[in-house]
Amino acid sequence: MMQTSAVNKTSVKNRYTLSYIIDKYFLVFVSWPSMLIMLAVTAIPFIITIILSFTNYDLILEDWKFIGFNNFRELVKDPQLPKILSNTAYLVIGSTVLTTTFGLGLAVLMNSTVRGTRTIRSMYMLPIMTAPIVVAFTWRAMFNNDAGWINWILGLLHLPKPLWLGDPHLAMPAVLISDMWTGVAFQAILLLAGLMSVPIELKQAATTDGATNWQVFWHVTLPHIRPVLFVAILLRLIEAFRKFEGIQILTTGGPGIASTPLNLAIYDTGLYYDRVGYAASMGVLLIVIIALSVGLLFRFSPKQELGK
Amino acid sequence: MKNRRRLTEIFKSTVLIIGLIFVAIPFAWILLTAFKRPVDAASVPPVIFSPFTLDNFRALKSDEYIGSLINSVIITVLATTTTLFFGVPAGYAFARGKFKGRKFFGAFLLFSRMVPPVIYIIPLFLFFHKLNLIGTFSGLTLAYLTGLLPFTVWMSASYFQDIPTELEEAGRIDGCNRIQAFVLIALPLAMPGIISVGLLICIAAWSEYFIPMLLGGPTTSPATVGIVNFIGVDSINWGAMCAGALTLVIPVFILTLLAQRGLLSGLTAGAIKG
Repeated sequence: MMQTSAVNKTSVKNRYTLSYIIDKYFLVFVSWPSMLIMLAVTAIPFIITIILSFTNYDLILEDWKFIGFNNFRELVKDPQLPKILSNTAYLVIGSTVLTTTFGLGLAVLMNSTVRGTRTIRSMYMLPIMTAPIVVAFTWRAMFNNDAGWINWILGLLHLPKPLWLGDPHLAMPAVLISDMWTGVAFQAILLLAGLMSVPIELKQAATTDGATNWQVFWHVTLPHIRPVLFVAILLRLIEAFRKFEGIQILTTGGPGIASTPLNLAIYDTGLYYDRVGYAASMGVLLIVIIALSVGLLFRFSPKQELGK
Repeated sequence: MKNRRRLTEIFKSTVLIIGLIFVAIPFAWILLTAFKRPVDAASVPPVIFSPFTLDNFRALKSDEYIGSLINSVIITVLATTTTLFFGVPAGYAFARGKFKGRKFFGAFLLFSRMVPPVIYIIPLFLFFHKLNLIGTFSGLTLAYLTGLLPFTVWMSASYFQDIPTELEEAGRIDGCNRIQAFVLIALPLAMPGIISVGLLICIAAWSEYFIPMLLGGPTTSPATVGIVNFIGVDSINWGAMCAGALTLVIPVFILTLLAQRGLLSGLTAGAIKG
C-alpha cells in the first residue's frame, strides 16, 4: 500500500512525462511484441489452416475456390483414414502409457537407491538431449534386417529375425520402441523430481504407523506426485501427437501407410502430394482430436490442477 | 530380513543397469560406426570392432556438411537470442499481473503449446513463399519462434513468480522506474532460471529438423537437415552419418554435463510448478 501511494505522489506531478507513460504501460510494452509475434506465426497460420480446409488449394494448380465441406466429406470416406486414425491412437496411447509406466518405475528405483543417483540421472538425461533426427536414424540402423544390432542379437539367441520396418505389423511397435528410448528417460527425470519433493517425514510417519512399502507408495507418495504425474502425461500426449522425425526417418510411414499417423499424413498430403486444402481439413481433424484428448485428460485429473 | 533387503537391492540395481544398457546401446553404435571403415559400417553380420579410421570425418568435409554445421550455429544463436529478447520480458509481464489482453494471451499460450507444428507450417510455407523468406535466416528464426517463444514466456513467467514483489516495490520507493525495477532487480534474481530456459531453447533450436527441412534453403540448411543427405537412393552412408551425429550430439552432451543442474531445473520446473 505504502508503495502505491509513494508512486502516485510522484506520478501526479509528471502525469504527461515520458517516464510516467513508460511506467503506466510498462507491462503492455514488454508483453505485446512477443504476443504480436505469436499472433503472426501461430494464430494467423492456424486460422489460415481452418480457411484452407474449405478450399481446394493446391501447390501446383494456380486457381482455387471455396468448396464448402467437400474436403471433410472426402475425408470421412477416405479408405486410408481408419488406418491413419488407428495408427494415431496406437502411437499416442501406447507412447503415453508405456513411457509413463516404465518412467515411473525407473524414477521410484532411482529415488530409493542411495548410491549413484546423480550419475545415473545424468546418464538418463542424454537421450532427452539427443537430436530427434539422430535418434530416428540410429534406430533405423538398429532395426535393419541384416546389419542391424537387434536382429544380430536375436540371431545369436537363435530367435526368429523379423523384418521390423518392412513388416506392416511390426512397423508401429518399432516406432514405439524407439519412442520409449527418449520417452521413458524423459518421464523418469520428470517424475523423479516429483518423487524427490515428497517430504520424507510423511513416509516415515506412515511406516511407523505400520504401513508396508507398497501402502506408503500407494497412499502417500502417489497422491503427493499426482500433479506432476498429470503434467508428465499431458506433455507426453502432446509430444506423441506431433512425433515426426521418429516416423518419417525411421519407417517413412510405411510399409504402405502401416505406420502413418495423422501428423505425418497431413505433411505427406499437403507438402508431398501438394493437396494443401485437403491436408488442412486433416489438420482441423487433428486439432479436434487433440482438444478432445486433452479435455478428457483434464476431466480425469484431480480438481486442484484445473486452476493452473 | 537382511537377506531379503539384499535381494531387493540386487533387483533394483539390475533393473537400473538394464535400463542404462538400453540407453547406451544406440550411443555405442554411433560411436563405433563413426570410426569404422566404410566397408564395415553396414556389413552382415555386424562387425562390432573394425580398424580405427577417420575416413568418415573426412567425408563430412567434402560433403558440404561443415557448411551446414556453421548454419546450425548461426540459426541457434539467432533463434535463442531473439526468443529470449522477446520472451523473457513477456514472461515478466505475465508473472506481474494485469495488462490488457493477459487472459486472451494466456489461453493462447496454452493452446499454442498443444498444436503440432505441422498445422502452422503449411500456411507459413505459403507466406514465406510470397515474401521470399524461404531459405533465409530471418525466415527460419521467425518460424523457430512458433515453438520456442510460448515455451520461453511460460517458463520465465514461472521463474519471475518466485521472486517476491516486495523487492521491486522497495526499489521503486527508492526511485527506480519500472524499467529499472525490471532490469536491475527482477532480471538478475531470475537469472539462474533464465539461463536454464536459454540452454533448453538453445538445445531445441540446435536439434530442430522439421522447420528447416521445409523452410531452409541450400545456403541456410542446418546440420540436422544436412545429415539426412547421407541417406542415398539405394544405400545409406552410415559411417558419415554417425560422424555427423557426433558433431551434433557431442556439444549438447558437454553442455548437459556442465550445466546439469540448470537443465534439470528447466526440464522439471514446468511440471513441478504446473
